[in-house]
Amino acid sequence: MTGNSGGPLFSFSGVTGGYGATTVVRSVGGEVSAGEACCVLGRNGVGKTTLMRLLTGHLPLQSGSVSFDGQPLDGLPPDRRHALGLIYCPQERPVFDNLSVRENLTLMAPAIDEGRYAAFFAAFPILESRMTQSAGTLSGGERKILSFVRAVAESGQLLLLDEPSEGVQQENVERMAGFLHEAKAAGRALLIVEQNLAFALGIADRVIVMDHGEVVLAGAAADMTEETLAAHMHV
Amino acid sequence: MASFLGHSAALIAALAVLPQLVGEFWAYTLALYFLYAIASLGIGLCWGQAGFLPLGQAMFFGLAAYLSGLSLIHFKDSWLLLLLLPGAALAPGLLAYGIGLLVFRGRTLSGPFFAMITLALTLLAFQIANSWNDVTGGFNGLKNIPGLPGLSDFTDLYYISAVALAVCLLGIAWLRRAPAGVVWRAVAQNEQRVRFCGFALQNVKAAVFGLSGVLAGIGGALYAPQQNLVTPQLCGFLLSADLVIWAAVGGRATLYGPVVGAVLIGILTADLRDEISYWEVILAAIFIIVVLYFRQGLMGFVEPRFERLWRRRTERTLDSPARPEASGDTGLADAGFALDDVRVRMGSVNILEGLDLEIDRPGIYCLIGPNGAGKTSCFNAMTGELPVRSGHIRIFGRARTGTAADLLSRIGVGRKFQAPSLFPDLTVAENFNIGLWGGRARLRDLVRMGSHGWSSAILREAQSRFPFLAEEDRRAGDLSHGQRQILELVMVLIAEPRLLLLDEPSAGLSQAETQEVIEAIRWVGGRLNACTVIVEHDMTFVRELADRIFVLHQGRLLASGTVAEIQADERVRAVYVGASA
Amino acid sequence: MDPILTTNILNVVYEVSTLAVVVLGLAVVFGLLGVMNLAHGEFVMIGAYCAFFVQAQNLPFLAAVPLALLVCAVLGLVVERLLVRPLYARPFDTLLATWGLSMLLREAVEAVYGRAFRSVATPLTGSVDVFGADYPSYRLLLTVVSIALVAGLVWWFVRSATGRRIRAVVNNPELAGSVGIPVTGLARNTFVFGCCLAALAGVMLAPLLPVNPTLGLDFILKSFFVLVVGGLGSLVGLISGSGVIGGVESVVSAFLDRTYGYTTVLIIAILFLWLRPNGLFPRT
Repeated sequence: MTGNSGGPLFSFSGVTGGYGATTVVRSVGGEVSAGEACCVLGRNGVGKTTLMRLLTGHLPLQSGSVSFDGQPLDGLPPDRRHALGLIYCPQERPVFDNLSVRENLTLMAPAIDEGRYAAFFAAFPILESRMTQSAGTLSGGERKILSFVRAVAESGQLLLLDEPSEGVQQENVERMAGFLHEAKAAGRALLIVEQNLAFALGIADRVIVMDHGEVVLAGAAADMTEETLAAHMHV
Repeated sequence: MASFLGHSAALIAALAVLPQLVGEFWAYTLALYFLYAIASLGIGLCWGQAGFLPLGQAMFFGLAAYLSGLSLIHFKDSWLLLLLLPGAALAPGLLAYGIGLLVFRGRTLSGPFFAMITLALTLLAFQIANSWNDVTGGFNGLKNIPGLPGLSDFTDLYYISAVALAVCLLGIAWLRRAPAGVVWRAVAQNEQRVRFCGFALQNVKAAVFGLSGVLAGIGGALYAPQQNLVTPQLCGFLLSADLVIWAAVGGRATLYGPVVGAVLIGILTADLRDEISYWEVILAAIFIIVVLYFRQGLMGFVEPRFERLWRRRTERTLDSPARPEASGDTGLADAGFALDDVRVRMGSVNILEGLDLEIDRPGIYCLIGPNGAGKTSCFNAMTGELPVRSGHIRIFGRARTGTAADLLSRIGVGRKFQAPSLFPDLTVAENFNIGLWGGRARLRDLVRMGSHGWSSAILREAQSRFPFLAEEDRRAGDLSHGQRQILELVMVLIAEPRLLLLDEPSAGLSQAETQEVIEAIRWVGGRLNACTVIVEHDMTFVRELADRIFVLHQGRLLASGTVAEIQADERVRAVYVGASA
Repeated sequence: MDPILTTNILNVVYEVSTLAVVVLGLAVVFGLLGVMNLAHGEFVMIGAYCAFFVQAQNLPFLAAVPLALLVCAVLGLVVERLLVRPLYARPFDTLLATWGLSMLLREAVEAVYGRAFRSVATPLTGSVDVFGADYPSYRLLLTVVSIALVAGLVWWFVRSATGRRIRAVVNNPELAGSVGIPVTGLARNTFVFGCCLAALAGVMLAPLLPVNPTLGLDFILKSFFVLVVGGLGSLVGLISGSGVIGGVESVVSAFLDRTYGYTTVLIIAILFLWLRPNGLFPRT
């Protein structure tokens, strides 16, 4: 772990923003400490992905602040945030479709480091068998797995995952959960947007529920029942 | 109207006394730049109003100059000139209209493509003028062109140019304030919404381009007799570039900007070109700076102040004419639509994989399904925005696979987009008017000021329901997100569609606003006896409104039924469990 | 083989390969930054004037290469910083600004050297026998160098880490930033690289062209047509686009004259825009 211990690794408050003049996310706050996972829940279209894009510097904040390791991130472009240790998996278009699976994994490193990926390839053998194929030929769920592996194998301290389980088969979702538990145990912090309640509650220490761009419920995951949460989400 | 007459009188008086003030030599010089200014006004229309930039306007100027020069040489003193000279001015307009129709038929051609095509065409025009010796006189051009019969001295030439300029300016001033001008500015801001309001976009843009061709034609047709010489340079890219620079520096979106730019820069250039060897470089730098920092140009600082003095909104006193009934309408029997095994593919991804969907009577229907199920794509396929690979779409009982959005709008299909799609720089009143005119206004309604005063019962009801809509002088872009959602909804409603497609009308709205939208949809569905189809994620919304729900999954229809039936459906639960609890 | 046919074939290959060098610079910049640099042709023109300048100073022809690269790299850096980057979110204004820049560069060169056509002596005189046809050595050399340059750049683009990152940014700019690619710096370097490529083409072509300030105009239009025909999707598109445009123009010009060649190319481009707006190999 780097930097000033004690405070949360990642915190944000009053985060407000959207597209152009349109405000989608209104005054959302939260924090994640090392070794902890926070899940952002809510039905489609309530601003979860917009929140992630605001936190990772892909959209400008209309107001509010974001800080990592005690350091404000205002105005830093995504690549600088990545250098600090924010690793982000977007919900849509999570991989480079025109690059091969190998190129996707080695884009920022000279060669594939077998040791780094061995455990992942063992869990998701499909990736190793598709190494030279372009990522665009993978199914939606396989792309999500590739994106997940790329992110988790990196060394950054904070993982921001936007719906990692979307379209992924149940057994692979369970393997993903296993890797995320390991990451927590290794002292990394996780901020995860999810729709899959069971998966989310299996990992989360804290939960934030959003509706209409605002936080409607927040607290320790242990205090939430599935019924309360489901009431905020779906059919 | 009174302000328009006052404006005209002031303009004519100023142009009339100018030669007395500046003397004969300058009057003659000004006359030439007046002709260029007329052509530059055309750039103002295309670029400043309708938002597309022609980089080759000189080809129209040159074409008219050659036609007029040839007419004068071959039919000197003949009465035929009375036909030939106006013909020389109009021919480039027809050519421009034709080019416009051809080029704008594609989808994405407003930006670089259109500009580059016009630039290439002007180079081609130069090549032809330069090498077609028998007709154009080749490199040396047409020489010794006789002047206009009966006009000799410099002052006469000045007055001819001045009259032409005044007529063009007043004509444009009228059109800018007429509904046509509103439609042009709407095109510059949001082409998609213009199409979905029922305007044939390519015709509107081609008409503006044709008009700009006529303006260049008037300038060119008068150039030949005034200068007595026409050379290939008149078709070349240098003059084309100058016309754009003048419009940009003078103020492309203002009425007088292109004229001020042409006269001011033209005269400065004539004066300074030989003294300052880098003058043209400085001019190019000024152009770049205008593009970067002063997009409104010189007159942009002055004109809006005056405009505000004359402009007053027309009260809505006229009820809009009823929508013309589309041919083949057979009333309520064909109220709905049907999709039959529709397949849509984007790149390597199948978006719709044999979607069957049929709704045959008025009511409120909701389309739900997980992300990527094909809900918005279904709307896009129905409105001709996505190419359908196979399958059939019928709307109101007729085959409508691939029918363009503007035609659909005219036969009664209204669509509201997920993010509010309107005209942010127009006033609320102008936004409504586009909705009212689309599908109702004929060409003559679009040049009549009275059409600003159209109203409709639906509009009045909407304004009493949502009081902020009565503040019609506000800029639409200044409204809050929720207000913009409602404004767009009302814009669609006042066209009185019989099939209403609403894509997440509550997206980004607060709880209170969502409730208002629910009430508005319920009100209007009953009021228009329409078939309303809503894509929605908010289940409270769906529960409150839906007569029937359709669940889409992986590009197919998974289930349909009442709210209770859908909630009990195991397949639906299974789909949602994949993505949630 | 018939010598005249051989000469014509070589002419087509020459036309296509040199055009491909110019287009490559424009296309990479357009693909990565979404900026159609209308001043691209003027960088070719400046390259040609560098060759002229070097010759006037009695320096060896090859000295023009570093000079042109230096001049255009500096110019490219300044332009990227002042014109391209501030207008990143306004692509239409970038088009206008680079169009203004093309005028500025043209007028600046004209103010220094005038409008007169200048000629640059061929560094390699004489001709070579190719299958019985007598073909000018310099043109042949230039064809070979152009093909090698395009092939080398394509190879680099496919195999190098930087090439991979450029392709990644083109494919998915948002994700590129997230995985740590410094998008802004990469965009700047790519822009400068595109300018340098144009300048290099200008130096190479200078001995075969009437060097004058409006020389760039022809190149930008032809390059644009190549992108229209080939599509913005891929290198295959770029090369086939160069093949269609360069090939048709040189064939028609050889049999009829330049005006017809130009007209044919223009008509092809308009037909493509109209009937196949995404070109032969669209970006998916």
